[in-house]
Amino acid sequence: MKNRLFSVELPFGKAPALLVLVTALTGLYLFFHPVETSQATLRLWTFASNHAVPYQKAIPSFETAHPGTQLEVQLVHGDAVNSRLRAAFWADLDVPDLVEVEISRAGSFFRGPAEDVGFIDLMPILKRTGYYDRIVQTRFAPYRNRGRIYGLPHDVHPVVLAYRRDLFEELGIDVRQIRTWDDFVRIGREVSVPGERYMIELSDNNAGHFEMFLFQRDGGYFDAEGALIMDNEVALETLLFFIPLVAGSERIGSDLGSSRLFTQAVESGYFLSFICPDWRSKGTETDIPRMGGKMALMPLPAVRAGGRRTSTWGGTMLGITKSCPDPELAWQVAEHMYFNKAELAERFRETNILPPLKDAWEHPAFDEPRAYWSGQKLGRIYADLADDVPPQYASPFIETAKSKMAGVISSCAAYYRENGREGFEEFARARLLAAAEEVRRYIQRNPY
Amino acid sequence: MNALFFRLQHRYAPYLFVAPFVILFLTFTLYPIAKSLSLSFYITNGPKSQVFVGWDNFRFLWGDPAFHRAVWNTCTYALTSVFLQLPLSLGLALLLNSRLVKGRNFFRFGFFSPHLVGQVFVAVLFSVVFIPKFGLLNRVLHALVGTAIDTKWLGNPELVMPALVLTSLWMYVGFNMIYFLAALQSVDRELYEAAQVDGAGAFKQFVHVTLPGIRSVAVFVTVLSTIGSFQLFELPYVMLSNTAGPDNSGLTVVMYLFQNGFIAGDLGYASAIGWTLTMGVLVISLAQMRLTGTWKRED
Repeated sequence: MKNRLFSVELPFGKAPALLVLVTALTGLYLFFHPVETSQATLRLWTFASNHAVPYQKAIPSFETAHPGTQLEVQLVHGDAVNSRLRAAFWADLDVPDLVEVEISRAGSFFRGPAEDVGFIDLMPILKRTGYYDRIVQTRFAPYRNRGRIYGLPHDVHPVVLAYRRDLFEELGIDVRQIRTWDDFVRIGREVSVPGERYMIELSDNNAGHFEMFLFQRDGGYFDAEGALIMDNEVALETLLFFIPLVAGSERIGSDLGSSRLFTQAVESGYFLSFICPDWRSKGTETDIPRMGGKMALMPLPAVRAGGRRTSTWGGTMLGITKSCPDPELAWQVAEHMYFNKAELAERFRETNILPPLKDAWEHPAFDEPRAYWSGQKLGRIYADLADDVPPQYASPFIETAKSKMAGVISSCAAYYRENGREGFEEFARARLLAAAEEVRRYIQRNPY
Repeated sequence: MNALFFRLQHRYAPYLFVAPFVILFLTFTLYPIAKSLSLSFYITNGPKSQVFVGWDNFRFLWGDPAFHRAVWNTCTYALTSVFLQLPLSLGLALLLNSRLVKGRNFFRFGFFSPHLVGQVFVAVLFSVVFIPKFGLLNRVLHALVGTAIDTKWLGNPELVMPALVLTSLWMYVGFNMIYFLAALQSVDRELYEAAQVDGAGAFKQFVHVTLPGIRSVAVFVTVLSTIGSFQLFELPYVMLSNTAGPDNSGLTVVMYLFQNGFIAGDLGYASAIGWTLTMGVLVISLAQMRLTGTWKRED
């Protein structure tokens, strides 16, 4: 009886009435409980938790020095930094004041007309403050575009070789005898057992490891002027050297992928050594604690005797966005986070990341022996190599070039597995040229 | 006053009720579709900077090796979906439709359940299964052959597609089986009895009674699987750690669209890819429906 009366009064029945009621109630709730917006004066995005933690620790000292300023450090996932920042730039909404961008992604933010790039040019302020000359010069290379510098380098990321000292000793490998890659490969072939043990962790299907060999030879994807050089003779020479290390019957390298597997592989002796930039040394200490005292570091073998004993892997830039209402204040944040020597030393102890500010390396923290690395002075090993770190020149097309190079490596490895050395050089040359042509097609149609 | 209120309510209430859908549809479906069509004639760097290039995006696409690779991979996947997945689904449905099988409901749920967990979860699960050296698959193979196996299922260009197909089989065979089961249960039992009287064996009954009886559902499942296959994205994207896999072996058309639109920032080229895909799927679906005589039957 009651229902009938109800349905007479509401001709569409109880369900729509309930929907309207729920909508009204939730609407009212949201109206009176709006989502809290950040009250911060400045917001900094970072994608790395090992950056975020020290930055958060540094907030109180910055806020004390700048009364009335509220700084917020937000940890945003690496992929999300890429997509959210791009969307934020496009829509002019929720753009952070400062943001850290990973080196391989930075170039893509410099695409389009210079006035549309979302970051301010830091060159004038770097020159004015004198920091330009105090920073490792090669680290500006990835963040330069059309004569401007859009990012402050966070790191140097020199590369060394980390090895299982205990296993090397067991196998009778004397690292002092390893001066060139040829020495390394010769010994590697003696000790590698397919499917059981490999001299080094190297990938046959992505460009990450290959790049280090390429940079060590002064090669790269682009030159200082932004011209594509991924198919030059240096790249070919590197490819011809690299592929037999990861494919074919005499390979000395393999890879397994993610960090958990990597841990298992190092602990079990599947990898005797691996390429280790400064940031990875901390990851190793954290992820593979059981290897403490059994690991050691050595400079990379040189391409030729007396040659460069390092390369580089990874990097981060800090950019100040054009949406920032107070770029001067944002610069002071950057200065506080990147150039405070005492904090940099403490941060080095926590992260093992070598800062690009050269005067900072004089701090005793960089000469402390590390028990995990068999008592070696980790900081000094990296710092001694820092000035020799090769540049990585970038372009808005860097990700395309890297992706094409990964394809070249995969296909060359597959060819080498099937055919060995026969016809390999011609195949590798043709694949490099084809990949570079694809990248050039993209570049040529770019109207900006 | 009350009478006027109820009269107005009668007249306008339906419009108010459909308004949320219509507004959302216009804003988030129709407008983006129209906008993407116009964008496909521009090279863009985000929505702010656009340069009109006419048909150039489509011309570039025509000669783009990466797009060719994406189309090849997607077609390979779609073909395996139709020619491997659907027969398996039908086979399972036939098996689980038989009264001779005990615990049919349990098996039906068991085979269907992988679909409940979603593509991303399945992708994560299988990326662990395919791990080289320590992964489940390699460990099983190791136990079978007795020597250490460190096959890189997701690191070898030749093995990526088989790995994706295997994963999708696990996920979708049971799902499509449900459609076939429903169709099988709607086939008139008397037709089977008549066929038996006429001396038809099991195979002839399947060809002359079962298949015609489930044809409309089979066409529906085939078209749906084809369209779904051409939209493949999450599975390879997650399994291959946000990349297109070695030598683009896991690159699909939608993934290529994503890379261009949201990584490279060229929404124009991404729109051109999207419209090409739409046209391709439309043509294939129409061809499938024509070949299977869907319209003829309806006429």
